[in-house]
Amino acid sequence: MSRQPRASGYFRTGYGADLALLGTRLERTSLIVFAIALVAFPFIASPFQLDLASQVFLAAIGALSLMLLTGYAGQISLGHAGLIAAGAFTVGILFQELKAPFWITLPAAAVVGALLGVIFGLPSLRLRGLYLAVSTLALHFVVVYIGGEYESRRGFSTGIVIDPPKIGSFTIGDGRSWYFILLAAAALTLLICLNLLRARTGRAWRAIRAHETVAEALGIGIAGYKLLAFVISSAITAVAGALFAYYRGFVSVEAFSLFLTIQYLAMVIIGGMGSLLGALLGAAFVTLFPYLIEGALLALPGAQGYAGILFAVNYSAFGFVMIAFLIFEPLGLVGIWQRVQNYFLLWPFRHRSAAGAPR
Amino acid sequence: MTEALLAIEKLEVTYKRAITAVQGITLTVAPGQIVALLGTNGAGKTTTLRAVSGFLGIDDARVTEGSIAFKGERIENALPHENTRRGIVLVPERDKVFPNLSVAENLTAPVPHGTGAAERRRRETLVSEFFPRLGELKSRIGGLLSGGERQMLALASALVCRPELLLVDELSLGLAPVVVEDLLRRLTEIRRELGITILIVEQSATVALQIADYGYVMENGRIVLDGTAERLRNHPDIQEFYLGRKGGGESGERRSYRDVKQYRRSRRWYG
Amino acid sequence: MQLIVNITVLAAIYALLACGYVLIYRVSRVMNMAHGELAMLGAYLLYSTASLFTAHPVTAIAAAVVMSLVVGVLVYVLLMRKMTGEMVLAAILTTIAIGILLRGLVVLIWSAAQQHPLQKLHFSNPSIELIAGARISTCAAVLVLMTILVYGALFAFLRFGSWGIRMRAAGQNPLLAAQRGVNLNAIYALAWGLSTLTGSIAGMLIALDSGLDQTMVVIGLKAFAPALVGGLDSLVGALVGAVIVAAAEVLAIHYIDPLLSDVVPFLVLIAMLIVRPWGLFGTREELDRV
Repeated sequence: MSRQPRASGYFRTGYGADLALLGTRLERTSLIVFAIALVAFPFIASPFQLDLASQVFLAAIGALSLMLLTGYAGQISLGHAGLIAAGAFTVGILFQELKAPFWITLPAAAVVGALLGVIFGLPSLRLRGLYLAVSTLALHFVVVYIGGEYESRRGFSTGIVIDPPKIGSFTIGDGRSWYFILLAAAALTLLICLNLLRARTGRAWRAIRAHETVAEALGIGIAGYKLLAFVISSAITAVAGALFAYYRGFVSVEAFSLFLTIQYLAMVIIGGMGSLLGALLGAAFVTLFPYLIEGALLALPGAQGYAGILFAVNYSAFGFVMIAFLIFEPLGLVGIWQRVQNYFLLWPFRHRSAAGAPR
Repeated sequence: MTEALLAIEKLEVTYKRAITAVQGITLTVAPGQIVALLGTNGAGKTTTLRAVSGFLGIDDARVTEGSIAFKGERIENALPHENTRRGIVLVPERDKVFPNLSVAENLTAPVPHGTGAAERRRRETLVSEFFPRLGELKSRIGGLLSGGERQMLALASALVCRPELLLVDELSLGLAPVVVEDLLRRLTEIRRELGITILIVEQSATVALQIADYGYVMENGRIVLDGTAERLRNHPDIQEFYLGRKGGGESGERRSYRDVKQYRRSRRWYG
Repeated sequence: MQLIVNITVLAAIYALLACGYVLIYRVSRVMNMAHGELAMLGAYLLYSTASLFTAHPVTAIAAAVVMSLVVGVLVYVLLMRKMTGEMVLAAILTTIAIGILLRGLVVLIWSAAQQHPLQKLHFSNPSIELIAGARISTCAAVLVLMTILVYGALFAFLRFGSWGIRMRAAGQNPLLAAQRGVNLNAIYALAWGLSTLTGSIAGMLIALDSGLDQTMVVIGLKAFAPALVGGLDSLVGALVGAVIVAAAEVLAIHYIDPLLSDVVPFLVLIAMLIVRPWGLFGTREELDRV
């Protein structure tokens, strides 16, 4: 995993150093500072802000898994909401039928996710690009249909209610506990992703995304790695769905529409493809965006009348921002961040020197 | 001295901002000439043709220096269909016909220069005069034509666009020598009857020098030799490296390059 | 017998919507996921023109039709043109984003309530009795007729019209087409305009028949399955795919479970993707072009 050389000349002198996550002292200290800020946050924030942060962490898990699948392995999937639904419904069904506790339902959700990953991933062995996207889209509808059938057959037409998870006699119900749990989950997911990408799996995925035929010629078993990408990504996504079910305390099929998939894809695109940081930035952006719009709308005069059309304004603004990023900034927020970085690193020069064309 | 139809000055073309495929070439094509651009793979010949016809954008290539002037007008980085309107038409190396359209449809597709019936009649006469075989194949699907027929169709559809400058990329590729002879004859006919100027790019120097008036030899993005066809045919280096003969004159024996001990010596024309 | 009538009407709806997907894909290899929303927009435009020209229904319809053609061209010229050459995912996402934007705008401009352009035009929609007691509403009958007309016109245009031939040429080999003087931007704009036009006609007729609200986009999405089943670059395929999917859907609703109506098209789609991904009449090479 090579990074851009730093202006101060940080040279890595061994493979270990090349793979290290935190090489420089600056990186270590900034991580510690950031960690302290994250831990201190719940003690100074309002419940509303706590809820927002928790939502961002939850979204980040799904965004990271999608980034693994689409941003690194290059497999287009429009079925993300279906996988989240699968995780959530696993929790809901197991809870309602068997009163299963969370330390059974969460792993079960992961297993269900993995199995679905195999199913969602099988088309990728034969199809690419558009056709793969369409097949995952079709599978999404099937999963959502099955969930809907369960709801109506078992009489939960308004949705399944789930009790909050318990550890011994301690019920996880308040905002602060959830904040730390979701923060831990997101951090764990990030660590898993980072390690996967540093290892052979990550390199294989990058090769497959760049040029599949060449990857195969180099002896990378693309079928296995493609399926692996789907399986791992789906398992993580299903766990995100399970956490979502517990966090909301409620599972209903309407929450898992195509729009949810599009939101996650937007996170990946707006954040910046092929970058875990992009997934995190995108997750934060897309999760907070509706609240931004709502705040802006309420700041305008005549605020009361806007409540009815808030949803429509959200939609329009979201579509607009997505188009803007796709057309003008295809590298996403990470691209903008890199440009800002480069401006300061390269100053007073404007560009790096051109890749050496011999004259 | 007649005004050059096409004048390229110190042209540089770079791919993906990293690879300079054409490193400063200067060549001119006078009206009514057949000019050959020779060279091995990777010399930059196709890139030059692409630059002239406006096709560079597809491979993320750009003209970074120099100029291309057609009848005095600068045309670097123009769009392909603009160049076609100007009268520069390219017969590409690959994908030269529309595979799922019939021969007749292939000939209707080019955007016309006139109105309805008159234009259609003009195209008919053009095809029947130079490529009578195509007249018999009107309803055959393009993808099912033989190699020679496909090349004929490609040339015909190029002619339909009323070119003043015809750019032909690798005419002989994949075709039997007999077929190539036939096509070359037609090209000379076309030049004679219609007065079209032709710039032909070829790996096979034998083929090109048969019909060309003038030739340029490219290597690694530079022009290393140029001259009339006669001079090129008799040039010892061309004979050795492109025509496979050693010793002066046309009657020199053909020897394998392995027999030439000094094959790896540097080319004389750099001197 | 009523089943056959229902299948015919649904097949006509799907066919009319599916040809929009095929037109754009065949010419520019782009999957227009906003087709349903554009069709819905056309229907809402009719509602507006109907409100404007209540005494002149013909003018209202003509105005709406022309406006939808313009909208299609504008979407290409202003937005999609910038996406040429980008990767597949980006192009698909752009169309999805356009769809989302349109959905929001439609509610903002026309409100979320259900509208009835039929009333505005002072038309009535009696049901016609056919053989064996089967019934069909007038609007549905008009829709079937329009589908036949549109398909006939499209076939003739693409097969015999010079610009139709150029459109097909541009779809097969855009570079060569550009070299032969074809202005690719104009061709793509034309494809988008025609696609939006046919989609809007479908949308308008559906709205006239059964009222208009945002749920129309669901039909647009479902119509994607027939397009793929038949082959994304084949008009004949779209027609055949529409019949197959419509038949499957109507029969499933009737004999198995009414809730299946939204899933059946996608089940057929999955089946086709497993067996023959490029569809019944599509060109095989499409798979390897990413």
